[in-house]
Amino acid sequence: MVKTEMKDSRLGPEEKLFSGVLLLNAKVVGLALGVIFGLGIFVATNWLVIKGGSRVGPHLILLSQYFIGYKVTFLGSLIGAAYGFALGTICGALMGWIYNRLATFRQ
Amino acid sequence: MDKKSAVIIGAGPAGLAAGYEFIKQGIGPLVLERSGTVGGISRTESYKGFHFDIGGHRFFSKNDDINRIWQEMLGSDFLQVSRLSRIYYQNKFFNYPLRPANALFNLGPVESLLILLSYCRARFAPQPEESSFEQWIINRFGERLYRTFFKTYTEKVWGISCKEIKADWAAQRIKGLSLLVAVSNALFGGGQQAKSLVEQFNYPKYGPGMMWQRFKDHINAGGGKVMLNCEVSSVRHDNGRISKIVYFNGKEVQEVSAENFISSMPISSLIKLLKPQPPAEVLQSAEQLAYRAFIIVVLIVDKAVLFPDQWLYVHSPKVQVGRIQNFKNWSRFMVPDQSRTSIGMEYFCNENDPTWNMPDHELIEFAQREMAEMGFGPASQVIDSYVVRQSYAYPVYDSTYEKNLQNIRNYLYSFKNLQTIGRSGMHRYNNMDHSMQTGILAAKNCCGERHDLWTVNEEKSYLEEDRTVREIPTVPEKVLIKAFARMDKFAFATAFGAICGLLVFSATMWIISRGGDVLNSHLRLLAQYFIGYTVTVKGAFIAFGYSFFWGFLFGWLFAYLRNLFLAIYIYRIKRKAELLSLKDFFDNF
Ligand SMILES: Cc1cc2nc3c(=O)[nH]c(=O)nc-3n(C[C@H](O)[C@H](O)[C@H](O)COP(=O)(O)OP(=O)(O)OC[C@H]3O[C@@H](n4cnc5c(N)ncnc54)[C@H](O)[C@@H]3O)c2cc1C
Repeated sequence: MVKTEMKDSRLGPEEKLFSGVLLLNAKVVGLALGVIFGLGIFVATNWLVIKGGSRVGPHLILLSQYFIGYKVTFLGSLIGAAYGFALGTICGALMGWIYNRLATFRQ
Repeated sequence: MDKKSAVIIGAGPAGLAAGYEFIKQGIGPLVLERSGTVGGISRTESYKGFHFDIGGHRFFSKNDDINRIWQEMLGSDFLQVSRLSRIYYQNKFFNYPLRPANALFNLGPVESLLILLSYCRARFAPQPEESSFEQWIINRFGERLYRTFFKTYTEKVWGISCKEIKADWAAQRIKGLSLLVAVSNALFGGGQQAKSLVEQFNYPKYGPGMMWQRFKDHINAGGGKVMLNCEVSSVRHDNGRISKIVYFNGKEVQEVSAENFISSMPISSLIKLLKPQPPAEVLQSAEQLAYRAFIIVVLIVDKAVLFPDQWLYVHSPKVQVGRIQNFKNWSRFMVPDQSRTSIGMEYFCNENDPTWNMPDHELIEFAQREMAEMGFGPASQVIDSYVVRQSYAYPVYDSTYEKNLQNIRNYLYSFKNLQTIGRSGMHRYNNMDHSMQTGILAAKNCCGERHDLWTVNEEKSYLEEDRTVREIPTVPEKVLIKAFARMDKFAFATAFGAICGLLVFSATMWIISRGGDVLNSHLRLLAQYFIGYTVTVKGAFIAFGYSFFWGFLFGWLFAYLRNLFLAIYIYRIKRKAELLSLKDFFDNF
């Protein structure tokens, strides 16, 4: 998940511990965020499906404006999860990439 | 004149361990011991069936080989003891290390509050200068806690004001573990052993002398010879080699030559015995190495139970006694009659100071008075007593010792067949296990191996080659540094803000691109938070600005908190390790 940037090999052990600056592994952050988004949509959709009622998921269905083919059904939850995964992965990887660029630049 | 392959001076743990190793290597060494018993400072003395140590001796070691040898020697006679040792102050027992609830109860709410305030003051406004032990402790524990629990005892032990003890010495000894090691131990459990060692220790059924007696028997049985009452009086050298040593066996003066000589007698005394004499500056350095001495007054009390602890630290400034041992709590076999208790009142002093020179009967009366004063019963309950004086008990680490020791070492290096080992032999604050290690390594050196004895018990380099080392992190440094790397707050905030901004921006643009009743899209609800937002291209940019701003704030806060919690975690580990090693520090007095 992380790489680190170390400053000076001549530092004492105490300073050494604080010498690293966290660098994110963009791919892993992307995957992690993708899984969270995907799982989030999957669980949220199926929760409403199980609850049932006269109108199932009147608000969640708004996601279909962005995720074409998404519905508040079990099949829709799978489609939403796929979209969520893709979006999360892109966002996470992009965030990791921007963070790493900036952190390295600021070093 | 006798010719041996190895002669060892001193039958303390170091000398006997060297002898043990020689036997293992098939060599029968000669061990010369000045006194009538083996064990040196770790011997057991006996008086009318009561056994006692020269200060209680816990057997614990981080070195598996030493533990194995101890077990091998004693087997089931090596008892496991759960430690109980508390601080005795103002006639109350304080847990050691201090526990807040117990301290609060004993000191009362007012004093506890004052201690807390002074602690907070020290933490938030520490003394800028930290050159003395006093300042060092005050900066970590606060002035009041220092006065209550550190000052008196430390001054009793060293006989000098805490202002005169150098801070770097305290720091060196108390730090014990480096932060990296502490963190590694806390995460991966390497420190568990150290912890349990502090709470439990081994102890021979009849006191430590039993262990050393077994070593003696082992050496004698293996073809070596341990000779008691043989005081080395002269060490002759010639051409960079020790040629022979002269000793007095109580009846006559004898000489012995050997290929290898190992000495565990005090290094300063050894220098003075060398013939021809060393250069004047070396002699002067030897003269300046100081040692603290120790007196134990054993009082046999006609009472079955006095207190449950193995020993008590006496912090009260009203009495001179520093520690009280209760030998039957170490092992019940230390007393012949369970209805009686033998306690050892320990006095730290200098050789030939007024306490040292006090006649035995005065010392006994003095100790009885102090015992009564502390509330452990009247002098009339004491039915018998015994006094032991121990010189060279503690090597003193004063401001000149390093330089003096280096002078001596440089000079002794010129002798190819002489090695000094052990506590006084190296002027090192060694425990029994360290002393034994130096002895074992010295014997191995005589058999062709090459070990630097001076790295044993040196900070962090506790026999590095040894697989049982615990003073180095259990995981590689690099991994730890990675795990505890700081998050760049600005970079994270910017990245998070950018992603939030982009998401809302793209969502708005997506809705616009799809056409229809765009303005009435649910996305317009965002205007409740993003004032001025509409589902238009302009609105998309406004939303980007807002989202970036909030994302940036949250991202920064997240990174800040993540770094803060990590720092708190590390700080706690460091404090814990510091406290543990502080406990070790006092245990070793
Ligand atoms: C109060 C106190 C409590 C301690 N508690 C513990 C503890 O709980 N656990 C622990 O592990 N360690 C403890 N120690 C430390 C332990 O006692 C020493 O580490 C250990 O005894 C050192 O062994 P040594 O062989 O290096 O030296 P010593 O024990 O000093 O042995 C040196 C030997 O050399 C002999 N000698 C000196 N001069 C001559 C001469 N001229 N000719 C022949 N022989 C000579 C001496 O008589 C002695 O027997 C304690 C020490 C003290 C003072």
